[in-house]
Amino acid sequence: MSRFDDSPLVLRAGTLWQEATAAAFLDAIGDGTLPPGAFNRWLVQDYHFADALTSFQGIAAAKTPRQYRKPLIAGLGALDAEMDWFEAQASARGVKLSAPVHEVCRRYCDFLIEAAYREPYSVLLAVLFGVEASYLAAWSGLPPTGPYAEFIDRWSNPRFAEYVESLRVLAEGHRHESSQRYFDGALAHERDFWRMTWEG
Amino acid sequence: MLHEILWQQNGRLAEACLHHPFVRGLADGTLDPEAFRRYVAQDAFFLDTFARAYALAAVRSQDRKTLISLCELLNGVLWELRLHDGYAKEREIELARVQPYRTVEAYTNFLLATAWHREPGETIAAMTPCMRLYGYLGTELAKTVVARNPYQQWITTYSGSDFQALVTRVESLLDSMAEDTPAVRDAYAYAMRCELNFFSAMSEHRA
Repeated sequence: MSRFDDSPLVLRAGTLWQEATAAAFLDAIGDGTLPPGAFNRWLVQDYHFADALTSFQGIAAAKTPRQYRKPLIAGLGALDAEMDWFEAQASARGVKLSAPVHEVCRRYCDFLIEAAYREPYSVLLAVLFGVEASYLAAWSGLPPTGPYAEFIDRWSNPRFAEYVESLRVLAEGHRHESSQRYFDGALAHERDFWRMTWEG
Repeated sequence: MLHEILWQQNGRLAEACLHHPFVRGLADGTLDPEAFRRYVAQDAFFLDTFARAYALAAVRSQDRKTLISLCELLNGVLWELRLHDGYAKEREIELARVQPYRTVEAYTNFLLATAWHREPGETIAAMTPCMRLYGYLGTELAKTVVARNPYQQWITTYSGSDFQALVTRVESLLDSMAEDTPAVRDAYAYAMRCELNFFSAMSEHRA
């Protein structure tokens, strides 16, 4: 069960939702057994992803009418702060963020950028809700303890949940015939991303 | 010249494409007709995007000469698409209802994301491999003639002077629009990997 079980977008995504929010990588984060190599891989690739998501969200915010734009703008500020935090984490662990982008991450980034330019804001809201809601659900399933407690808390805390809820209201209030397809697309990329962080 | 440096740097990928079972099947005529049907459908979807990427590059071009070259290259893609319409008609393939494979969609998303978002030189670097590679494959395959090869038209198209002229055109645009930067090298190399993945996807997806 998750807080989005009654969302029409989540319901119609079927098994993709489960696949995008549960992963061997997350299980290992939860029980503190994650190999450092996998964690560092995730750190680098998620940094690349956050950079692309910033571009996506900047374009989405520009396309979204003024009265719906505030959560996207606030989210952009949070994303930028998150990139600072990633840089500090990488520096403390001796990880080079300039390492090449993995093909799976690249596919996700291209999906976001292509959609950002091509699709109307209503579809972009569905994409953003898919990206963030699945991330919240993925991390919220873990106990906020152990060596990765700081990471778990970052994406399961009430403020992040409140932000995702505001995205849900926007996405569900602005449906478009392509919304479900793009929502499902975001979930499929989330699933592949988690597998990549675990398998390399 | 930059186009030659990039082509040489990716020679291993070009050879992998030339020796790919799909391409060998085109060469000796033994390719499963179903695999070719899948290829025609997926390639038509791909070329539709390829035309749009040229259009975006044309919009973002800085001078009239580049604009004209890009429009002529776009026309070349429309000509290729008409050939695909012919293949599709012969083989009763419904091109309007094609769902792209994930590998193919990754390639088209890459091309469009680059064309919208990156520097124009990177866009041309992302688009050149498809042209140069097909020109190369056509030329190599045309060296050996196989009697009654059902794929002879494909070989004739890509080894022919009309297509080779388009290859020269896009490579000269690459030389004039792109600098030898890590981003340009990366775009070219990634497009080459996408080409190889494209051939592999035709065998991986069976009806």
